[in-house]
Amino acid sequence: MDSVKKKRNVNLIAIVFLAILGIFGILQLFNKPLEGKPVAKKIEAPREVLAILENSCFACHSNEQKLSWYDKIAPISWSVDKDIKRAREVLNFSEWTDSPGEHKGRMYAILNMMQSGKMPLHEYTLLHPSAKITPENIETIRKYTLSLSGVAPTKKEMKDIHQNAEKSEKITPSKFPVSPNSIKYTDEYKKWKVISMSTLFDNSIRVIYGNDIAVKAIETENFHPWPNGSVVVKSVWKQEKSANGEIRAGEFVNAQFMVKDSKKYTDTEGWGFAKFSGNDLHPTGKTASFAKESCIACHRQLAEKTGYLFDVPMKVNTERLIKNLQK
Amino acid sequence: MKKIFLIIISICAIFTACNIDEPDKDLKRIVFDPGNLQFISTSLNPTKETSSALYGNQEALKSLTNENHQPDPNSEFKLVTWKYHKNPQYIGGTITGELLSIETLSVDKSGNISYRIQNSSEKEKIQQNQEERIQYIMSYKPVIRP
Repeated sequence: MDSVKKKRNVNLIAIVFLAILGIFGILQLFNKPLEGKPVAKKIEAPREVLAILENSCFACHSNEQKLSWYDKIAPISWSVDKDIKRAREVLNFSEWTDSPGEHKGRMYAILNMMQSGKMPLHEYTLLHPSAKITPENIETIRKYTLSLSGVAPTKKEMKDIHQNAEKSEKITPSKFPVSPNSIKYTDEYKKWKVISMSTLFDNSIRVIYGNDIAVKAIETENFHPWPNGSVVVKSVWKQEKSANGEIRAGEFVNAQFMVKDSKKYTDTEGWGFAKFSGNDLHPTGKTASFAKESCIACHRQLAEKTGYLFDVPMKVNTERLIKNLQK
Repeated sequence: MKKIFLIIISICAIFTACNIDEPDKDLKRIVFDPGNLQFISTSLNPTKETSSALYGNQEALKSLTNENHQPDPNSEFKLVTWKYHKNPQYIGGTITGELLSIETLSVDKSGNISYRIQNSSEKEKIQQNQEERIQYIMSYKPVIRP
């Protein structure tokens, strides 16, 4: 009696095992290999910097994938392929830039991602422990990135500035440009409150304005998530040294909009992004989904604590002080 | 009786200790309210690590556009200065933090100028040369926005 029961159990296990094997086999039929792409222009950097990037980042952020055998088996491969596709869209070391300014910007983004522990992804280093980065690695990246700050703009970039300055005519509201994701430029923000002021490594000076909904959200600490209808505009200028050693706002660079609409901008954490540059306020982006491939990557990873918005005022002032000052 | 007294004292001590341990409990994120004035210009002082925003009314904006460095009658200016910090969310950036001072410059309809400064900390209350500060405020040019 007992041996019959045992036999039945063994049979059952065998059937289940074969069934799982069969399902895996069928899954492989739907396993399209990742589309191979040639290396167009590889990033140029000192050898020790390249070594870190190649070891920890290239597997997803380049066209030189070195996947392990288990990365290629469905269903793992589906998730791996999706991550790589997204990673390449955001940053691809095999399709690098010619502009020193852009190179610097990307290096700062990389440094910030590593420093905050957001990259390489935890799920990735679990399966690929050799890709983990050490504090020494981050220090190498930091030193190299900071060394880029002294780079002067090239002659070509200087020339462009003048061309921009020459055609500075006022744009009338009827001609206000529209971003590919249908966000329209408005100069209403000039009447809004300034929520903070900031600078960036690119020698720019920035003033950030918020509409009433955004200001109220800040004051009541109610931005997890930000209420729909919040709009924040960052106006960016080049830094200009004045005679007394101060820095003032020089040439206008761009106005960056973030518009909260959780139903409309589902791919980008509910925020619509737009950037209008130069005196003609030309909008950034070719398709409506441009922010999915650029803006949101940094905002998602580094500004999650403040509802995906950088430059929210710091929590450092006492109410008593403000009341005293505003008397 | 002595015991009860001791217990009360120690409880009080515990509570005061807690208060000291949480100095940032009443810290706030604030947005400066300039009333009916609008943002005109900004500056950054890398030596003092401060950043200022200049606000003003239409008359103030006009006087700064004219470049005669004299405030027009009925003009009103507010220069708000903040301490700035390294941006905690982004290496390579700075962001404004503590509010340090508010300077107000107003001119009545007959052209009489009045100036006052409010500081957030007592230590900073060194009387600055008023004339110099007025000239400094008048040195701002409105920011360029298309």
